[in-house]
Parts: sequence; structure tokens; C-alpha cells
Amino acid sequence: MRKRIGRDVFHRWEGNPTLTLEDIPFRCNTVFNGTPAKLADEYVLLLRVEGQQGYSFFALARGRDGFHFQVEDRPVLLPAKGDVFGIYEARGIEDPRATFINDSWYVMYTATSNYGSRIALAKTDDFHHFERIALISEPGNKDGVLFPEKINDQYVRLDRPIGLNVGSIWISYSNDLQSWGHSKVLISPRKGYWDSYRVGASAPPIKTEQGWLEIYHGVKMTVSGPVYRVGTVLLDLKDPSLVISRCNVPLLSPREDYERIGDVNNVVFACGALVEPDGEVKLYYGAADTYLCVATARLGEIIKYSLNEKKDR
Amino acid sequence: MHRKRGPDIVHRWEGNPIITIDDLSFMCGDICNAGAVKVGKEYILLLSIQSLEGFYSIYPAHSVDGHYFQVNDQPLLAPSQRGPFAIYEELGVLDPRISLLEGEYYIFYDAYGLHGYLLGLARTRDFTSVERLGLVSEPDTKAGALFPRRIKGKYARLERPWAGSSIWISFSDDLEYWGWSEVIMTPRAGFWDSDRIGVATPPLEIKQGWLLIYYGIKQTSSGPLIRLGAAVLDTENPQNVVGRTNVPILSPRVEYERIGDVTNLVFSCGAIIEPNGEVRIYYGAANSCICLGTTGIEKIVEAYMESEKEF
Repeated sequence: MRKRIGRDVFHRWEGNPTLTLEDIPFRCNTVFNGTPAKLADEYVLLLRVEGQQGYSFFALARGRDGFHFQVEDRPVLLPAKGDVFGIYEARGIEDPRATFINDSWYVMYTATSNYGSRIALAKTDDFHHFERIALISEPGNKDGVLFPEKINDQYVRLDRPIGLNVGSIWISYSNDLQSWGHSKVLISPRKGYWDSYRVGASAPPIKTEQGWLEIYHGVKMTVSGPVYRVGTVLLDLKDPSLVISRCNVPLLSPREDYERIGDVNNVVFACGALVEPDGEVKLYYGAADTYLCVATARLGEIIKYSLNEKKDR
Repeated sequence: MHRKRGPDIVHRWEGNPIITIDDLSFMCGDICNAGAVKVGKEYILLLSIQSLEGFYSIYPAHSVDGHYFQVNDQPLLAPSQRGPFAIYEELGVLDPRISLLEGEYYIFYDAYGLHGYLLGLARTRDFTSVERLGLVSEPDTKAGALFPRRIKGKYARLERPWAGSSIWISFSDDLEYWGWSEVIMTPRAGFWDSDRIGVATPPLEIKQGWLLIYYGIKQTSSGPLIRLGAAVLDTENPQNVVGRTNVPILSPRVEYERIGDVTNLVFSCGAIIEPNGEVRIYYGAANSCICLGTTGIEKIVEAYMESEKEF
């Protein structure tokens, strides 16, 4: 008898999409990539909302169970006006990723302007008041995620610059969160694979016994445009510039209507995941640049798949 | 009476080109660009030379008068074969820009590998041995130039990240970790520098600020036209541009600038200011030879002052 195993390692929540335009109390274009945080007694999602003008900003949603959320009446972070941030956020702020470190939440996000995309860093304790710390990359870089602890006494981030038209995931280090260096390439697109066109960091790294689990996005180019999927890679705990294993297959692919049909078709794009005490991983992802969704998987299952790098070939 | 002004603000030396492949003791693909520095009475150039296979290395050349150079047989800096630099220098090391900082010569070069361009930083005292300090940018960043002193306590560099095709400035406390990046000059629509710009020579301190010679590119239907312009940055706040020439100070016009592996190109990685105020610009022409052009600080200042006017 054939065993039914489901279409993807991540299981979509049956209530998807979790948030749509209808759930936003103000008029806007879309709500999609969001980063989760578990506070004392609630879940929050810092959401990328694209306004009808066409630029993006952040709103906050709150919920009790990690699946049902209420969006607050007003955005919590808008593109800066004036000063140096105003110059580089002139076309919006996008794709927040929140990491808890030094007893605060640090959010890396993409600042966009006519000068190119850059990674910016802000700090918050309550997801209402944000202190912008610095613009921490050169232009042409995005998808920055901060590790949740210092490694060898240094802050570490992953990011996605473009070198010779190839979008790879790189790793960089800092002593002060302001100036960064020792950038090295970590993983690149793989010819022929589902991630053959571009890769980029998605969720802030999660510490597991088997290594740092990075949930990333991989892109394949097709004649009708790109297909965005979710994959994983495990990095060495002591030296995260070393790849332990990289999953051969995507763990989530666009298949449902809400993932295939929207402003950008065929996109699932995560900006964060939470690991519950019982080992359930909740993955928050934008679908078709139009909805915010959640999917779950067992951490052990994700690790098992992440370690399958060589088995398939 | 009609006064002859010459075609450009920079005057070509009549003995140009000063270094061609005929001056080498080995065969090569071509000679591109040169960093330049004067050490005592000696002029030193660092040349980007492409091997016949197609990979770039950096060779020193020496001269007592700045016109006639002897090119070394061996490179000062060749693509690293092993260790952490190797994968980032696989395709070559090129376009060295030399700055004298705190008693030592620092060389920013483009490290060119399959993952893109990174800025490499190396240090030498004598131009016979060199120490690699690190790769200090994200990809694709090229055309890095170090300021010859700290500014407000921080090291500073100019650079050309790929995105935006503009000149940026970054700062560092230790030459190892860089940040506080800001854009300072962008291409100007319709101008000779409408498509891309980048740093040509490392900033040189003059009375008016930091003198910077930069390259500007305009696309034509037969390919890019690569010219040189000049700008002056504020002494203590170099993110502020004090002046920028509306016109190129040097354009490809003569045969050795128009004909070569890359046509219609003048490109510099180094200039020297003589005690009498003469600016000597060592420039690569058509990616095939090295030339010398001269001008005066006052001519460049006059050119950007003129640029403020509408006529």
C-alpha cells in the first residue's frame, strides 16, 4: 500500500492565509513578509506592509496562539525622514528579521533608495519604539540576519550581496554592530537544483544540537519568472562559516493558490521561525508577496532532511 | 589672436606611451592601469598586467625621472594560490591604488574571483615584499582608495560598489571592520559621466580639500567611453563634495587611447603632486599601455569653479 506523506516537509496551517489585506485596519496594497517574536504572554509579528503608494513599512500583529493575529491600528515603523537613514530609506523599508540578543530585540531590515538596497539595524524592546542603530552594509546587499548570540566574542550576520550577478549567502563579523568585516561566501546557487538562480538568508539562525539551522530561500528561474522556495542549511556551532550539510530539497514550495497567485506569483518567503518547547517549528512566510502564512514542522524532521545532502546523489 | 589651449585640461607627455608590452622582459596579454607613488626621488608604479592566460597580477616599475621606467620581472602581488584569499583572487589581482599612511604604503587592489570583486588591502614598506591584510569589502566592490591620514580619528576609504554605480565613502577604526558607508558622488544624467563613476586616484590633500581624480563612463552604441574627471572633497568632512568638474579633464583622443583591447579608454589608479604644484597622472590607455599626463592643481580648481557657472 502506498504511504501518503504530504506534499512538503512543512505543513501549512489549515487557516492560511493567516493575514490578508482584509485584516489590516488601514488601506494598503499587501501584507506579506513578517518576522515573529515570542514575548512574555503573546506572539507578535513584525510585518512588511506595502502601502498603496508602493513603498513598504512595518506594522505589528499580536496573538495568543501563534496562528491567529490582530493587526494594530497604526504602523510601528515608517521609512525615516531626514538624517542619513532618510536618504537610504527613501523608497521604503522591507523584510524585517528579529533576533533576541543582549536582552533586546534587534531587527535587520532592507532599506531601499535610488542608491540601492542596504541592510539597516534597529533595536527595540517592545516592537513599538525602535532605535535605529546603523546602516550596516554597502549598497546591493539585503536579507541580513543576525545570529542570536556572539560567536568567538563577535557578532555574526548572514547577508545576500550580489557578486558577478550571482546571489550567494555570505557571512560577516563585527565587534560593535556598526563596522563589519571578514566577509566570506557561505553557500551559492547549485546548478540544476531548485535553488539554481539565487539563494539568500531567510530566518535568523536557530541554534540546535546539530549546528546552526539556517532556513533560507532558494530561487529557480523559469520562462514565466522566478519560483521562490524554502530550504535549509546547517552551520558549525563554533565556526558558522563552515557548512555541515545543506538540504537537497526544498522544505516548502509554492503550491496553494495563495502562494501561486498574487502580486508576485510563485513565492514562499520566510523572514523568521519560532521553535516551541515541544519541538514544533512555526515558520512565518509571505506568500505571493500578498499574504502572510504559517506552516509547521518538527525540528527533528527538519534536521533529518537538512542532513540528507549527499544521500540523494 | 587665437590662443591655443590644447584639447584637455591634462596635457599628454610627448613621449607617451611610457610603458608598453615592448618594455617587458616577458610576454603578456596587456598592461592596464598603474598605481603611482614617489618615494624620495624615485617614482614607483604598480602595474596591472594580464598574463597571456588572462589573469591579472601586479608588477612594480621604477624610475628616477618619472618618464622612463624599468618593469620588474616578478610580480609584487599575484593571485593567492592557497589559504583564505585563494578563492577570491582566482581570476586576478588588479588596479592597485597606493596611499602613504602612518609611515607605510597601503595598497587597495581589486581581488577578482568567481564570487565577484572584493577590495583587498595589502601593506609594504619597500615594494619588494608585501603583506596581505585582508579582504575588506562585500562583493561587488572595486576601486578602493585609502585616505592618507585618519579623519576625525577614523580611517577612511573611497570605493565603488556595483549597485548604483556611484562613489561611496566608508570608515574604520582598525582597517579591518568597515562601516558608516555613505554615497558621495553619483553619475549625472546627460553628462560625460552619465552611466558609471568610480575612484581613479587615491585622495591627495591640497589646500582646498581632498583632490580626487575619478573615472566617468558614458555608453555609446559602439561601447563605453571612459574618461577622467576631478573633484575636491571637504578636508574634515570628506563626504561633502566641495567641487566637481562638469567636463572631463582627460578624454581618449589619440591613437593609443582609442585603439587597444578596450577602445576609447583613459583610466588612472595613481597621481603624484610635485612640490611645484604639478599634478602627474599616470594613466592606462585602451587597456594596453601606460601613459603620463600633467596638469596643475590650479587648473583643476579653476575647472570646477568654472563648472559652478552657467556661462
